[in-house]
Amino acid sequence: MRIGVLGAGAVGTRLARQLVSSPDVTSVVLRDEQADRVAAVAESLGSPAVVDRGGYDDPLDVDAVVLAGPAGTHVRSAQTFLARRVPVVSVSDSVADIRGLLDLDLEARERGVPIVVGAGFAPGLSCVLARHGAARFDQVDEIHVARSGTGGPACARPHHLALAGSAIDWRDGGWVERPGGSGRELCWFPDPIGGQDCYRAALADALLLVPAFAGVQRVTARMAATRRDRLTARLPMLWPTHPEGGPGALRVEVRGRRGSRRDIVVLGAMDRPAVAAGAVAAVAARLAASGELARSGAAGLAEQVDPVAFLAELAPRGVRAAVFHGEPAAPIA
Amino acid sequence: MRMFRRALVALGLAGLIAAVLRARGSGGVPPQDGGWRELSGPEFE
Repeated sequence: MRIGVLGAGAVGTRLARQLVSSPDVTSVVLRDEQADRVAAVAESLGSPAVVDRGGYDDPLDVDAVVLAGPAGTHVRSAQTFLARRVPVVSVSDSVADIRGLLDLDLEARERGVPIVVGAGFAPGLSCVLARHGAARFDQVDEIHVARSGTGGPACARPHHLALAGSAIDWRDGGWVERPGGSGRELCWFPDPIGGQDCYRAALADALLLVPAFAGVQRVTARMAATRRDRLTARLPMLWPTHPEGGPGALRVEVRGRRGSRRDIVVLGAMDRPAVAAGAVAAVAARLAASGELARSGAAGLAEQVDPVAFLAELAPRGVRAAVFHGEPAAPIA
Repeated sequence: MRMFRRALVALGLAGLIAAVLRARGSGGVPPQDGGWRELSGPEFE
């Protein structure tokens, strides 16, 4: 199969590397606005990777395309490929991109084309973990996502601003906007990240999780930040970000009912967000190209994949999920 | 007038100290039990 990758930043590069190592992918077509960068990436990947000099909105002869370019470019690109009935996978976590892509759902259903929205670390892996956790319940009542860390610079900049935006929470059957930077909560991520203060922020996880879980009462998303981050969120970033991003982690808490019993399951993952996002997008692209997604139309991974099969594909790629298990407290001597 | 200025200075100082303390923050309480375990098995339990 031939997969197109639009954008050769931190996530696009990792994603292309994952695709090149997949036995059923015969060609990875790379596109980026920076000609030098995409040429260097293609050279490092070897023969299955080829460079295409077209723009993000130009058509491409592939079995599926992954949009890994800057936020704000995904909706127009998706419309281009949707018109040509090419399955689309977007790694954008921008609220505006995700809303715009979800608005394409009806058209995509009519054309029978899948659009995987938010196929990255969070949303993306967060949706898969939420679906996996939900399998333990008859009815899911609440889902709370927390994330720590960012991918490359293109990911870090919007996350810096996210604390200054409006958080989108689902509460008792309706959308509620809360100020970003509010609602501090200490969240414990998988080791070695550990405990971090997390705040409300302009994150898109709820937009993808609410349609996937009928009857869910509350869905929230928070990101790890310091109090200094809250103070400086409205200012430009004062220091350049790490080109590859640092270590990050994910925590997904699912609350629900099985029979008359209420219970909580907490799942998580620890990885570099760019690396995990690349692996998630690569698996989603393969499923989209081979027609193995659960449905056509625009939706998140919680609606489109079988979580166990997805986690089984992620594990050999180094992305491993974990569960928090409580143990009885040791007796005080 | 002098009282008013003093009150303003006092309020400003209090606000400054509160901002520094709030920005500095304090540590949280670590979990008292439990831990993370990698999902394993064919069903990733």
